[in-house]
Amino acid sequence: MLRSDHILATVEMIQKENLDVRAVTMGINLLDCRGGDVSETCRRVEEKIGTAAARFVATCERISRKYGIPVVNKRISVTPIAFVGAGFDRHGFVELALALDRAATAAGVDILGGFSAQVEKGMTATDREYIASIPEALARTTKLCASINIASSQKGINMDALALIGQTVKDLAEITREQNGFGAAKFVVFCNQPGDNPFMAGAIHGLEEADLVLNVGVSGPGVIARALDRLINTKGRENLGLDDIAEEIKQTTFRVTRCGELIGRKVSEELGIEFGVVDLSLAPTPTVGDSVGEILEILGVDVVGAPGSTAILAMLNDAVKKGGIFASKAVGGLSGAFIPVMEDEVLAAAVGSGALCLEKLEAMTCVCSVGLDMIPIPGSVDASTISAIIADEMALGMINNKTTAVRLIPVPGKEAGEVVSFGGLFGASPIMPVRNVGKSSRFIAWGGRMPAPIHSFKN
Amino acid sequence: MGKQMVMSVMSKDRPGIVSDITGVIYQLQGDLADLNQSVLCDYFTMILIATFEDSVTPEDVVAAFSHIPSETRLEVVVKEMKIPMAIAKAKRSPETYILTAQGKNKSGLVHQISLFCYQHGINILDLATTLSGDQYTMILQLDFSAVESVDDIRSSLTSCAENAGLTVVLQHEDIFKATSEITLF
Repeated sequence: MLRSDHILATVEMIQKENLDVRAVTMGINLLDCRGGDVSETCRRVEEKIGTAAARFVATCERISRKYGIPVVNKRISVTPIAFVGAGFDRHGFVELALALDRAATAAGVDILGGFSAQVEKGMTATDREYIASIPEALARTTKLCASINIASSQKGINMDALALIGQTVKDLAEITREQNGFGAAKFVVFCNQPGDNPFMAGAIHGLEEADLVLNVGVSGPGVIARALDRLINTKGRENLGLDDIAEEIKQTTFRVTRCGELIGRKVSEELGIEFGVVDLSLAPTPTVGDSVGEILEILGVDVVGAPGSTAILAMLNDAVKKGGIFASKAVGGLSGAFIPVMEDEVLAAAVGSGALCLEKLEAMTCVCSVGLDMIPIPGSVDASTISAIIADEMALGMINNKTTAVRLIPVPGKEAGEVVSFGGLFGASPIMPVRNVGKSSRFIAWGGRMPAPIHSFKN
Repeated sequence: MGKQMVMSVMSKDRPGIVSDITGVIYQLQGDLADLNQSVLCDYFTMILIATFEDSVTPEDVVAAFSHIPSETRLEVVVKEMKIPMAIAKAKRSPETYILTAQGKNKSGLVHQISLFCYQHGINILDLATTLSGDQYTMILQLDFSAVESVDDIRSSLTSCAENAGLTVVLQHEDIFKATSEITLF
């Protein structure tokens, strides 16, 4: 029997705190779509996605209405495309990108991820062609997201790929100059990229996955912020310790995760496809009141970036995992708090006021997922410096056995402090200054591989 | 098979009253199947279903209950169920929704919501209300198995509630199970 106070607590969460399921992502294996040539492969890719996702969006919407919980994004992730297009040249990969974009539009999904490659140890000729295709592929498509895994704790960092990627990010921004370099917002570089992450831009359908799978990304920074506000107002700040705060985050995350798991399982039941994982990430949106930065401020720093920010984020990330992991049968993906600058209005404001700098963000990414995310930097920053920023973040992931990622947007023709806005879920922020520009090119020029750390040798 | 009876008991609450009532059924060799009890402002009420030997009549049960001491007279109604129910099979509809309605207290609120349910073919399975200060809260468990479109119900419910000055939230019961119970699937 449900108790009245439990019912009212849940009602509060749904009604006042805008509980939603952030993303339901259908993973589709495309390895069996390879045809004799590019156009045959494109046709098969479109056909497979069309068949697999025919009822996907309508089913999500029906379940969402039945349970009264919005599913904000319906997405598709596919097998990293460099495997599907093995042997293709850059033009072939652009054709594949266009086919994926058409398939995503036909399926009615918000976005499609998996225009990706895994090059953490070495690059094939195909991988190089794929990398060369990225700027044009993302400039000519609207729903496509790309990602590349260039490092892992097992294999180290592919420094040749790293050097190429710094230039790719610059080229992406330049080719989409009219949109303030928006192309770079659809491309993310990973260390230890998971194959079951439902969040974009880094969602892929890993090679280890089944033919079709459904992964769910729950969210709810807003829900956690309101729960903490309520706890502090009811009990009084002086009567609470950080352990009480952590407990409240755990319990709230439990409830949020259960809702996500319920919706995900119902959608997968109706579609008759396997349910994969719930990703426990706290993913902010530019909406006021849906911010990870706000939680840090509630917990005691007057502005994000002040000393203490990293410690609070560590506790938040841990409490979210503890609450969520018991709520779900299978947890995976990225599972942690995101700090994407443009998508979080409190973080963006902290950048604007000068309180939050790149180095502090880097420190914060040591204790949370995922990394330096959605950060607009001056368009004048050179490719080697971008590669070097990525290298630092990759090293954090490699040494700490965690996923880290970088999504930098070098905004063409703009300098630090100017505001850039992409609208919608991509948000807005003042451009973040980058210190020590142009001082890392000798390091990036080495190329080769950074060896895997000693603790990766466990056999 | 025996005789299935439904019994309703109301009295001023006191320690031992459940023991006395179930003791009567035990002495009459009745087999208790299901019961539901509640206490509101010191008054106790219980509805029970039990199966007795064919020789036991509803009058026998009422007579046995009359010996139970109570500060107020024990109000008892006993009916024989002409069509006995398999208790275990009386499962809850999978389309059970929870409606919460909150607003400033005034007379007629419960009537308005229950009338709305009746007019839309919704059966009320359970209803609990509380008054805290001048805020009135209703929590209803509703059977939506006869409802064709939850969307239509939501929109007409919202306008009905606005007229009554109530804030309503209608959610599937599964959501509350998910957020409040450990075992789910």
